[in-house]
Amino acid sequence: MEHAAVLHAVESGSKIQDLAWMILVAPLVMAVGTTLFVPRDRTLAAVFNIGGVILSFCLSFVLFCVFGGGSAQCTPFEWLPIAGLDVHIGLHIDPLASLMLLVVTGVASLVMIYSIGYMHDDRSYPRFFASLSLFVFSMLGIVLADNFVMLFIFWELVGISSYLLIGFWYDRPAAADASKKAFLTNRIGDFGFMLGILMVWSALGTVDFAVAKAKLAENPALLGSMAGIAGLLIFMGAMGKSAQFPLHVWLPDAMEGPTPVSALIHAATMVAAGIYMLCRVFFLYTAAPGWPGPLSMLGDLSAATLISLVGAVTALLAALIAVQQNDIKRILAFSTLSQLGLMVMAVGLGAKAANPSAAMFHLVTHAFFKAMLFLGAGSVIHACHHEQDIWKMGGLKAKMPITFWTFLIGTAALAGLPPFSGFYSKDEIFALALETNPILFGVGVLVSVLTTFYMSRLVLVAFFGAARSESADHAHESPGSMKWPLVVLAIPSLMVAWLPLGPFLSESFDPAHPVHLGDIFFGPFNHNPIAAFFGFGAALFGFSLAYSLYWKAAKDPLPTQLGLLSKVMRNRFYFDEIYETIFISLHNLFSHIADWIDRWVISGLMVRGVSGLVNLSGRALRLVQTGNIQSYTFFFTVGVLLVVLLARK
Amino acid sequence: MDSLSFVILLPLLSALLILLVPGNYRVIVRAIAVLGSGLTAWIAASLFFRFQPGHEGFQFESILPWISVGKLSLAYHVGADGLNIGLILVTGLVGFASVLVSWNIDRNPKLFYILLLLMIGGALGAFASLDLLFFYFFNELALVPTFILIGVWGRGENKTVAAFKISLYLTLGALIALAGLLLLHVSTGAQTFDVIALKTLLAGKPLSVTLQNWIFPLLLFGFGTLVGLFPFHSWAAEGYAAAPTAAAMMHSGILKKAGLYALLRVALPFLPDGAAHWLPVLAWLCLGNLLHCGWVALCQKDLNLLIGNSSLAHMGFAFLGIASLSVIGITGTVIVMVAHALLAPLCFALSGYLESQSGTVDLTRLGGLLRRMPVFGTLMVMGFMAGCGLPGFANFAGEATVLFGSWKSLPWIVVAASWSGLILGAVYMLRALRSILYGEERKELTAVIDLGWWRRLPFALLIAALLLFGLAPSLLSRRIEPVAKEIVKAATNRSTPSRVAAVVVTP
Repeated sequence: MEHAAVLHAVESGSKIQDLAWMILVAPLVMAVGTTLFVPRDRTLAAVFNIGGVILSFCLSFVLFCVFGGGSAQCTPFEWLPIAGLDVHIGLHIDPLASLMLLVVTGVASLVMIYSIGYMHDDRSYPRFFASLSLFVFSMLGIVLADNFVMLFIFWELVGISSYLLIGFWYDRPAAADASKKAFLTNRIGDFGFMLGILMVWSALGTVDFAVAKAKLAENPALLGSMAGIAGLLIFMGAMGKSAQFPLHVWLPDAMEGPTPVSALIHAATMVAAGIYMLCRVFFLYTAAPGWPGPLSMLGDLSAATLISLVGAVTALLAALIAVQQNDIKRILAFSTLSQLGLMVMAVGLGAKAANPSAAMFHLVTHAFFKAMLFLGAGSVIHACHHEQDIWKMGGLKAKMPITFWTFLIGTAALAGLPPFSGFYSKDEIFALALETNPILFGVGVLVSVLTTFYMSRLVLVAFFGAARSESADHAHESPGSMKWPLVVLAIPSLMVAWLPLGPFLSESFDPAHPVHLGDIFFGPFNHNPIAAFFGFGAALFGFSLAYSLYWKAAKDPLPTQLGLLSKVMRNRFYFDEIYETIFISLHNLFSHIADWIDRWVISGLMVRGVSGLVNLSGRALRLVQTGNIQSYTFFFTVGVLLVVLLARK
Repeated sequence: MDSLSFVILLPLLSALLILLVPGNYRVIVRAIAVLGSGLTAWIAASLFFRFQPGHEGFQFESILPWISVGKLSLAYHVGADGLNIGLILVTGLVGFASVLVSWNIDRNPKLFYILLLLMIGGALGAFASLDLLFFYFFNELALVPTFILIGVWGRGENKTVAAFKISLYLTLGALIALAGLLLLHVSTGAQTFDVIALKTLLAGKPLSVTLQNWIFPLLLFGFGTLVGLFPFHSWAAEGYAAAPTAAAMMHSGILKKAGLYALLRVALPFLPDGAAHWLPVLAWLCLGNLLHCGWVALCQKDLNLLIGNSSLAHMGFAFLGIASLSVIGITGTVIVMVAHALLAPLCFALSGYLESQSGTVDLTRLGGLLRRMPVFGTLMVMGFMAGCGLPGFANFAGEATVLFGSWKSLPWIVVAASWSGLILGAVYMLRALRSILYGEERKELTAVIDLGWWRRLPFALLIAALLLFGLAPSLLSRRIEPVAKEIVKAATNRSTPSRVAAVVVTP
């Protein structure tokens, strides 16, 4: 069969396979086992599930060390074998996947350990861990999938685990609504995703990544005039999962879930799945651009260029909104949106160089420091008795030193200060943008200024100055299980960018230009000084702006200075309201029209029509049988006359 | 006796046995019903797994000559192939589950179980019969108890109207289909109603195109009405809302599939030119099911009406696969039929249990039930998620297969629009979950009790089957694909050049 196209016949192939399957299945076994056998035992549930994910992490590490930069396709299980549509469940390991495995299992292990402390008082402790394990399983499935349909299957499973975890506190109406919104918004993206898969399948005749890639490498014009549309439709999936404009509205609401969930799913891993997926199917975006007749005015514009525009818009929009948020988790959520926008922009821009490594690089660094920031925020929220408004915090620096310092490292990394990891990964995106699209480079720098500004605002208001509320006054450092994951995450947040990830990742692609990822310390200033100086300058400028406004500020000066603009930013540019009025009301209108048609037109005309007809003929016949001699004679005469009239014709 | 005939006779014999038990020995009546239907389910399952996939022709076949009137000879002829083996399995399972959930029926349980077992036996007979008259007879045997069950054990104020409406629609539909079958039979000049004999006859000497164009719509709309094809669907949701849980389960899950089964077994392979003429119409009508019924479901406040309309929407996928006339699409249709035969009963059983606990299925009066009913809630989330096409459950496998199958042979706009039906599905399913399970606990609903251990059995059975076929759809597709190929081969064997090129994908 086609999918027997194993890339490299590996000597130790079977061992690698076993390892890969074990990495994938371990969390699932724990999730199912917990739900079926120990749904009430808190300790066992925690031990099993954390153990399962740590096992996956260790095995991923072994895989990474032993197998390193190789790539292999494991012998698949058949799932749906029909002639012409051969879907199997198989694993595909390459540098891209093995790096992502490490990121997912690593962050997941730390977040789950952190949850021991954070969720300690929750009554549904076992359910929480089981759902997290289910999520890890689904996410690893996306990472390891070797074909489109399997990717889509795990894509949906990630969606459902996210639904279950956002709505974890199901009795809170806000959480219940947020989980619903997240699932439905993702559904819209997945609708396009599936249609994109159909187009690729009908053009290439396969759903297997390796086979599709080989076919496209042989003949880049194979997608023909559908190349652009198929690329954009598949991107719709990423738009949902990675919350890109205009499907971004669900992510801020998803913060209603427990904070460890926000850290793992809605910051580090699941929302990055869109970027990962785009890198996985990157061969579609390097193919020859093509549009069907009605869209031919798009000409040589490729799907990748449009994708980079969507990313840039998202990055800028979210950064602007974040400036005027006051909820610590929402600020971080909008910052996640904005960084995801940068990654998507980088994927789009990478198409020309046939290398999306810059996006993956930022994904990796972002996963670590953003997870740490969220866990830090969780620690703050935990200490302040579930207070999330930064204007009710203050002076936490002295009370929670470890949380403060790790949060500061995360902020520095997000702001892009050297030598923190974020600087290098952002710099790579800036350098790429400078080479390919200077306008987007400008947008990137602007986003960077705003990022540093709102993060500095957050740190200055929450950690410095005097306590602004009772709960902030009585805050104290979190317990060990919450502290240590922060400390451990601080290490990669600082240093992960120093590893030679670039050359490693490039093996998954066929780059036209190698990238400079992994230049340590002042490397970026050598190979592309303009980009590096702009990045560094943006961070400094953003910080000084924030410092001048928020150092020891009692309240936010911006609303008075910006007026209406501030209000618009605070209300997220009114996207939720616009969607509410247009799409949801429209749907409700359709639904009521359909219901009305069912009730009155279809039932009314057909059922009542039929029964009415029967009724009417019954009445008419009854009229005839009156028992009245006169009327009988009358009808008889009419009948005779009719017959005579007809006979004369 | 061969096991296929045994599986048909078992529920009918159990019904007969119950008839002999005095009505006040309720425990014995129930025990017979549970044992009879349980054994039926067991044998049906063993038949499914003993079935050899990949072989052409029928297995477990048996013929028993019955009567011959003049030249016409009738025979009891049963057999299983990939098209009906899955349906036989789910009929057994759903029959057993529907007997189990009816444990609390107090009003004349004797008659109730007799009718229910007749429905099970009738449905099994209809799916297994390879003689059109027997098929029709068994189908009616299963349909008639539905009307009585609604009339006597029905729920709600307008159960009489609903029973009237459902009887009217289904009787009319069945009559139109009968007219089609008789016309087909007469015009072939055959001396038998045997499906295999008719197929051989028609392959050699097809009917004239005009005649086919007349017979096909009779079958399409006649059988279509039994399935709830738009716009002949408005009986379904109301009927199910008024029916007792077991009847709603059996009818929505199993009996509805008889119409689709007949289209696949008779209409497509016997009338290739009629199919070519009418399937494009069907492709557009299935959008009516998917979108119109989806929208109707969106504004329902009554959970049963919501499930009923959603079940109609799912039928859209089955019709879409038929309209695609491709091997992949028809394989998908059969998977959808099997999956939906498990899903719809699961949803109605859930709503039935909910009503027994809370006293209402009005979504505006429910809320926050997850806290007191975690097991029920988990099952409901799983069932409803299966309903909105979550991978891992069989429905996704079927719907995705239909989508792949129809992409190449139908206009893209139809396929895209039907896929958007899944977005609608998610909207109303999640709305229902939100208003039943999520949110703050309500004071008036604190008396609800979660599912006890053995009451979980029918739900666990249905969910396990959905998961099994969702995780390993090859169990179904390997059995179905050879039949789908045969159907497509027969249905594309036209005497006129094609208007819409049907695509037969080869490896």
